[in-house]
Amino acid sequence: MSLFLASVGFGLVTASVLAIAAVGFSVQFGVTDVINLAYGSVMIASAYVAYFVNQLGPGVSIWLAMLVAAVLGALLSLVINKYVYAPFQRRGMAPIGIVIVSLGMLLIIEYTIQAVQGTGNLSYTMSQGPTLTFAGLILSGVQLAIIGLSVVFMVGLHLLLRYTRFGKAMRATAADRTLARNCGIRTDRVVTLACLLTGALCGISGTTFAINLGSFGATSADLFLVMILAAVFLGGPGQPYGAMLGALVIGVITEVSAVFITADYKYVPAFVILLVILAVRPRGIFNAGAIG
Amino acid sequence: MSAEIAGAQVRGAALATELLSAGYQGRPVVQELSIRVDPGEVVSVVGPNGSGKSTLLKALIGVVQVLGGRVLWEGREVTNWSPDAAARAGVGYVPQVDDVFAPLTVKENLEMGGYLLPVREVPGRITHVLDVFPQLSRMLSRRAGRLSGGERKMLAMGRVLMLQPRAFVLDEPTANLAPALANMVLEDHIRQLSATGASVLIVEQRARAVLAISDRTYVMAGGRCQLEGTPAELIASPDFAETFLGGARRPAAPTGD
Repeated sequence: MSLFLASVGFGLVTASVLAIAAVGFSVQFGVTDVINLAYGSVMIASAYVAYFVNQLGPGVSIWLAMLVAAVLGALLSLVINKYVYAPFQRRGMAPIGIVIVSLGMLLIIEYTIQAVQGTGNLSYTMSQGPTLTFAGLILSGVQLAIIGLSVVFMVGLHLLLRYTRFGKAMRATAADRTLARNCGIRTDRVVTLACLLTGALCGISGTTFAINLGSFGATSADLFLVMILAAVFLGGPGQPYGAMLGALVIGVITEVSAVFITADYKYVPAFVILLVILAVRPRGIFNAGAIG
Repeated sequence: MSAEIAGAQVRGAALATELLSAGYQGRPVVQELSIRVDPGEVVSVVGPNGSGKSTLLKALIGVVQVLGGRVLWEGREVTNWSPDAAARAGVGYVPQVDDVFAPLTVKENLEMGGYLLPVREVPGRITHVLDVFPQLSRMLSRRAGRLSGGERKMLAMGRVLMLQPRAFVLDEPTANLAPALANMVLEDHIRQLSATGASVLIVEQRARAVLAISDRTYVMAGGRCQLEGTPAELIASPDFAETFLGGARRPAAPTGD
């Protein structure tokens, strides 16, 4: 029983990392119309940058390094969208073509990291904090911090999308870019800002992912990318609230299943869920196709 | 035709085109079309499906590329301007389909309509729009995607009304509406828009109904203007009567719009 509860705790932490990643992915898709598979590699690139900042000196906290990773994730996401995806889109390339391009970007970024860093794994220098127990869950201070961070980002994003002019403009642009322009919204600026915002979420999720994993390498996020896709499609692509719910379901199921099946196969349930969702509700549970 | 003579024909017009050609992938759908809408005028464009009416409007507001000729707004050449520039300049465009942000609430749609306004002016403008379309005030928190066809069109018009445009460009506002509702949209709503003193350029398939509210009408077929005149003149014209008011013969429709 305690093993089960412990796995629920791990599941909540995984779900928290996944929620940050999936929400960024989903909003980015909503605004740019790109299923950006390179997202996983931008996560890892950001995690690497956090590592280098973390290693600058003994006093450099990983949480400070995470801010730098967020900036890198934001800039890298913007550059990829503006100079790779958007030009292909303007030439009328079909969405499936762009997916292939993004897969190419994923491999280019991962192998670039591997070329620079080698195939070895890295770990951050950090304290795990005190171990805390409540309601049968056992979590480290760092794990609790990740959960807290994720909740803060989810609430923050909710407030941004619902109550700010920019957030509504982002939803309007995601819903109908032409109509948004008819309203006088400069959609190219909205897309730029949305790429920076979701790229920052990508960078932060990459760093929290690496923290949670303990040690990471250039291709560590590949399986996680499938979990992100599962969470995003479970909630409906472009639906941030759907992605949050999807992340919770996929994250907890993945970790809890490690109790019942060999841990090596713990990702399989997420893949199965993704396949079932694609078969039954290809547009997701929330089913609207735009940021609602 | 020299540019000078062409210029004289559009002097004083709110919105005008000169020998406009426009279309997709370099293929013109609209060909050498010259129209004008004077300040405060309600001008309609009628014609069969595929005659290029929607393409004309999209070229006017910068959604479809102009391939030749000019677009003029209040005496200034604005050919191939962007849709957001058109909104900024005072032209409010209501597309035929995709005319509201379906996932956003009615209130949020109106807020997006007023995106260019200073934030503190938005609530006052919303109140004004709700005065014009009082039915909308009961459904402010409803998602636009859940509205009925008539409510949706009202919201689409309310959305452009937020910026108090000096010209309304409306693409088949009665498409997909039941006949009674279509008449209400044309007779009440369009009249309300023009009562603001703005010019109205409206594309319609319901030729007879739109004639009743128009000051002037252009008849398009095959991407060109075939006839032009006041409603009385057109109704008296045998060509027009044959084509639109009961005649079975329809001009060829080369491309979709």
